[in-house]
Amino acid sequence: MIKFLFKRILEFIPVLIIISFIVFSLVFVAGNPVALMLPEDASQEDIERLTVALGLDQPFIVQYGKYMLGLIQGDFGRSFRYNTDALPLVLERLPATLELAAASMVIAIIIAIPLGVWSATRKNTSMDLLATGGAVIGKAMPNFWLGIMLILLFSVTLGWFPVSGRGTMAHLVLPAITLGTGIAAEMTRLIRSSMVEILSQDYVRTAKSKGLRDFFVVYKHAFRNSLIPVVTITALQTSTLVGGALITETVFSWPGLGQLLIQAVNTRDMAIVQASVFIIAILVILMNLLADIIYRILDPRIKYS
Amino acid sequence: MKIKSLLVMGILLAVLALTACTGKEATDKQPSPNKGNETQKPTGKSEENRVLTIAMGSDIVSFDIHNHNNTSTEAVHDNMFNYLFKRDDNNVIQPELVDTFEQLDELTVQMKLKPGVKFHNGDPLTSEDVKFTLERVATDDTLKEFPNYKQIKQVDIIDELTFKIVTHAPEPSLFHRLSRLGSGMLPKKYIEENGWDHFLANPVGTGPYKFKQWVRDDRIVMVPFEDYYEGKEDEWDEVVFRVIPENSTRVSELLTGGVDIAVNVPPSDWDRVDKNDGTSMKKETSNRTIMLILRSTEGYPTSDVRVRQAIDYAIDDGSLAEFALKGGGIPTTTRVGPGNFGHNPKLYNTYNYDLEKAKSLLAEAGYPDGFEMTLHSPRGRYLQDAEVTEMIAGMLTQAGIKVNIEFMEWSNFVEMRSAKKNKDAYLLGLGNSMFDGAYSVDWYRAARFEGETDYKNDEIEELLKASASNMNSAEREAQIQRIEEIAAEDVPHVQLYQETINTGVSDRIVFTPTQDEMIYVPKIKRK
Repeated sequence: MIKFLFKRILEFIPVLIIISFIVFSLVFVAGNPVALMLPEDASQEDIERLTVALGLDQPFIVQYGKYMLGLIQGDFGRSFRYNTDALPLVLERLPATLELAAASMVIAIIIAIPLGVWSATRKNTSMDLLATGGAVIGKAMPNFWLGIMLILLFSVTLGWFPVSGRGTMAHLVLPAITLGTGIAAEMTRLIRSSMVEILSQDYVRTAKSKGLRDFFVVYKHAFRNSLIPVVTITALQTSTLVGGALITETVFSWPGLGQLLIQAVNTRDMAIVQASVFIIAILVILMNLLADIIYRILDPRIKYS
Repeated sequence: MKIKSLLVMGILLAVLALTACTGKEATDKQPSPNKGNETQKPTGKSEENRVLTIAMGSDIVSFDIHNHNNTSTEAVHDNMFNYLFKRDDNNVIQPELVDTFEQLDELTVQMKLKPGVKFHNGDPLTSEDVKFTLERVATDDTLKEFPNYKQIKQVDIIDELTFKIVTHAPEPSLFHRLSRLGSGMLPKKYIEENGWDHFLANPVGTGPYKFKQWVRDDRIVMVPFEDYYEGKEDEWDEVVFRVIPENSTRVSELLTGGVDIAVNVPPSDWDRVDKNDGTSMKKETSNRTIMLILRSTEGYPTSDVRVRQAIDYAIDDGSLAEFALKGGGIPTTTRVGPGNFGHNPKLYNTYNYDLEKAKSLLAEAGYPDGFEMTLHSPRGRYLQDAEVTEMIAGMLTQAGIKVNIEFMEWSNFVEMRSAKKNKDAYLLGLGNSMFDGAYSVDWYRAARFEGETDYKNDEIEELLKASASNMNSAEREAQIQRIEEIAAEDVPHVQLYQETINTGVSDRIVFTPTQDEMIYVPKIKRK
């Protein structure tokens, strides 16, 4: 186990180096951010002056070399836009995004588990069709559309929840539902198919033939075993959560990492983009590792190799 | 299996709880929500609610007043920092922190500060602060405001309140420069003692409101400054600038009473705001003009003045303003709008539209069957920009000009301009935070746009040169007006319309948007 963990953590290093190179190259190729920093009527001379002052006139390899040198020392560089160190800015936003992600996951679990199990036990009935159809719609709904619709219904029309911002638990409800719906849809389908397979196993039939009540058969015998793929897939949903958070945070003015990253991409704020992607990458890698560990605990047949 | 399952569920729950707790910790640090301002409908009477909440479309860049080029950032700063001079309601420049001033010669102005002005930390405002502030922005070429202040050579201190500003060359626009963000006064002693990073996190100015809190991309909170030199502002106990980038969310906040002012309400929501009980739209002409920049480079059809005029005559600016903008624009043939120095009223609120004349001009220029041209346009940058571009393309088609529209994401659009890869025409909106027409007409200076538009007019060149250092205000005004007249005839740019500022306002307050797009809280009152 220890050896396995050590090996996996060592694997992080090349992955992070490759990610930093790809992101740096993409931002570099996107062009000079100076023209975006200055107003429309800035002269070419002003643009050139600021480009030199920020060291953006240097060749790619020099800029990347400087960046990597800083990175080794834990320095992600300074944000052009905010004129401050990038990493603290990104870390400052992380709690808001984690809060939203955790709440969305809770909502997804609350919706998906009963719906998936219920749907599997009524396989091929009209209720099952309704549930799976609902899951497809839930997955297909774009976050920004769902968010705006929820605001119009629950905030503008009914006045139950605040429209936007972060502050109280009430502020969390609508963004968490928006972000959680897509994940709930994915999980529902997964739980359903996993349950359908388990319910056809011999030991389930044995349990039923012993005269156990349906509830115990489904939840005590079948559901627990169907959780193996569900638990691992849930851990792997981190990247979906972060991707969804980009849009959801903007719609609900949620001051998290997603909003910061979108602003940074729009203004080509290299240091912020780099630091954000780096932190997100670490999160995703850690969650993948967690999924691996959980999978191995749940199913001892998988060996640490 | 049972123990292992429990273990797994435990790990998962622990991860969730941990992340939720991390979030909660940060949540607790947020300001308590503005309860009277949250989801309830506005009450109409606001005796008990003395918190003003303003929804902005973007966050401020920083509290470094010299290092941003962002109108909405200045709109917030305006309440915390005073300028040496300020434009009044009629756009006339008046002394603000300055008590008296005298132009000693073409290069030197002597000024005396008002006595008793204090910074928010209690330090008095002195000539040392003026020197520190102006010489910083005039000499540090990494600052984004440097191009607008590099004309200042130095500030000489005479005594605690008196100083001289010396420019490198005669500078007729000096007072325009001193009535905008670069002349917001910075506290020298406070910054030198605590460092810039401390200042940026705990900014101190001389303005009517002082800093309380900034949660990035969420809110900026200010409270009245007790020792403000004109007396404490007592209309509001607290002012909150909230950051709500999504248009529909910003409007929803206004409709539910979550905010008192929502900036940049899109035309699709104007009716909703007006019909809602307790809110209404307020519109004011901005200082931004939308135009087509034509390429006069040899080889392009638009190098012929008749073709440029034909394009101008083929575009019905009135219809653009009425239909594409839903009334959110005023047609113009000059970029120098009302309120700007050098404004030429003859060229404003009017436009050229004559389709037959456009066709005959094209025929005269050798294009009886029209020609094909490319029109670059940003999408989502200006009010209804994509709709306007499509409508222009339709209008030009009627004159026989086939238009290939190239919509571009803003950063690509900027890149195209910067690399001078623009083709026949592009749509652009230009403001003028200086409120000096000299900055608008400088866009016709040949050397500045060599390789981009290649427009050159000898008479304009002479007038530009003469007006640049002309300290005679009346003469300079006439020179700028003349340049506008020539440009309206020669059409290097097709001036289309001035955009309106479209602000949704709660009925519980009195607020009138201003042309400079500032949100100056002392002018916002409860009903």
